Amino acid sequence: MTASPLAAREATLGYGRTVISADLTVDIPEGEFTVIMGPNACGKSTLLKALARMLKPSTGTVLLDGRDIHSQPTRAVARRLGLLPQSPTAPDGITVADLVARGRYPHQGILKQWSADDERVVAEAMEATDIRDLASRGVDELSGGQRQRVWIAMVLAQQTPLLLLDEPTTYLDITHQIEVLDLCAKLHREGRTLVAVLHDLNQAARYATHLIAMREGAVVAEGPPADIVTAENVERVFDLPCRIIDDPESGTPLVIPKALASAPR
Amino acid sequence: MTVLRLGGYSIRLRHRVLAAVLGSLAALIALAMWSAATGSTSLGLERVWYALIGEGTKGDEFILWTLRLPRLATGLAVGACMGLAGALFQNLTRNPLGSPDLLGLTQGATTGALIAIIVTGSSLQVTTVLAAVGSLATGLLIWALTRGGDPSGYRLILVGIGVSAILAGINGYLLTRTTIIDAFRAVYWLTGDLSGRDFGQAAAVGIILAAGILVIALLSRGLDSLRLGEATATGLGVRVGATRVTALVTASVLTAGAVAVAGPLAFVALAAPHIAARLTGSSRSFLVSALVGALIVTAADMIAVAGVGDRQLPTGVVTGVVGGAYLIWLLIAHRKKGVLS
Repeated sequence: MTASPLAAREATLGYGRTVISADLTVDIPEGEFTVIMGPNACGKSTLLKALARMLKPSTGTVLLDGRDIHSQPTRAVARRLGLLPQSPTAPDGITVADLVARGRYPHQGILKQWSADDERVVAEAMEATDIRDLASRGVDELSGGQRQRVWIAMVLAQQTPLLLLDEPTTYLDITHQIEVLDLCAKLHREGRTLVAVLHDLNQAARYATHLIAMREGAVVAEGPPADIVTAENVERVFDLPCRIIDDPESGTPLVIPKALASAPR
Repeated sequence: MTVLRLGGYSIRLRHRVLAAVLGSLAALIALAMWSAATGSTSLGLERVWYALIGEGTKGDEFILWTLRLPRLATGLAVGACMGLAGALFQNLTRNPLGSPDLLGLTQGATTGALIAIIVTGSSLQVTTVLAAVGSLATGLLIWALTRGGDPSGYRLILVGIGVSAILAGINGYLLTRTTIIDAFRAVYWLTGDLSGRDFGQAAAVGIILAAGILVIALLSRGLDSLRLGEATATGLGVRVGATRVTALVTASVLTAGAVAVAGPLAFVALAAPHIAARLTGSSRSFLVSALVGALIVTAADMIAVAGVGDRQLPTGVVTGVVGGAYLIWLLIAHRKKGVLS
């Protein structure tokens, strides 16, 4: 069993009195590209929010490096764990370089506003996401795919070994979805631990090295996609009868849905 | 952008913000000098200078030190407080209309002032204190009502509008329960005015302003990150809850101080951050908003002193008319873009 830098321990998660997940225990394995998936309202985004300390469990804990994430100084956490939320907002008129530079926040202070390190790391983050040519452009002029790469660059500038991404491909067309996922795969190969919530089962199976399948707030299956993406599991998680074939492009499992019995022909 | 580095320390100077600060500061100094030199008795800069260093005539020194400078100083401090409070509220609500007027703080101050005028027969000191209490209490009430819920700006705005409506009703009731003379005094207070203010009041607002600037200097990096959204700010390590509460309390105190001394000068808190934003572009600067607020109040007060015919106007009439006109112009100028930012 690999060490787990980030984990939920018997955590009860919810909003107000609504409980989404009860006694949820999840380990995020180090160095893997973990994808959390499941049907709508299965609690996958809630789990990600809890792992990102945006949501405090009502019982149980979330552990970062073995210690309660809420007991650690939030800036120290921000140097270990970066978060790309589902729909981040860019202030009007902000330039790409300025937005990426915002990622340096946890490394800065009132009298440490812009160190030589800040400058170098921001340049590297823009290089890694291939947005150097856009540096002086306004974020609001960019396409959805470019914008998402800018946000990823901002999180990279935070220099965290752990990256959490909440549905990074939502609202993107298929080309840009693949572009963003390829970028994630590259970041993973470079040694970062990634956790993403994805909607598309086939993309999850193709890019993840570790899958967590959820349903009704509980983890139904977890492991490498090749092991757990089975017709049986897909039906358990999504109520969707299907066949599984090898993806001719990547060799990963590919889910082919069958027509639902109730659907009109 | 210029970066000053010394050892492990570095300060980042954004050219556009720097230009806006220096430009509005220069305009403010020029306007303040002009304001001291003109009025019902025109002194001219030379006589102002001699009166300032204590070598002017008795009459000139009386006009400058007793009539004009206290009023000017109060206006500057009140304007700066309102500019800062407006910028804080716009940041907190993430809404271009977020201002102490919309959120009910002004109404709360009015309730306090009306109680003072009706119960104590309008002693100015009691009015000032109760107006500050009313404004501050409203700010705390809004905080208590929005606590623990959805932290988005909309909730703050909607709760604020609700509180504002309740207070407006109470204010209307209070006005109907008073004598015609007190009602006139109340309406005059409601308009907002700077006439007859002394150095004591200027100093009181000045202390609140200084404290506000200090707190905002400590908060500004976090507040700037909050413009990226709560989630992103949390991810970056901003203590979102603590930052927001501190900002809300600071904005309430600034509003309370300004409104207590000058009455609810309409639109200053709303317009100042918008004008500042147009000067600084995508970066926001609380300092520029404070300077612009001071500029607006000083300019409006000069117009108010000049008055219509031979009658002076209450300062709030001018800020209301000019501020309202400015807002409409802003909307028309941005019609193509369809947004106010």
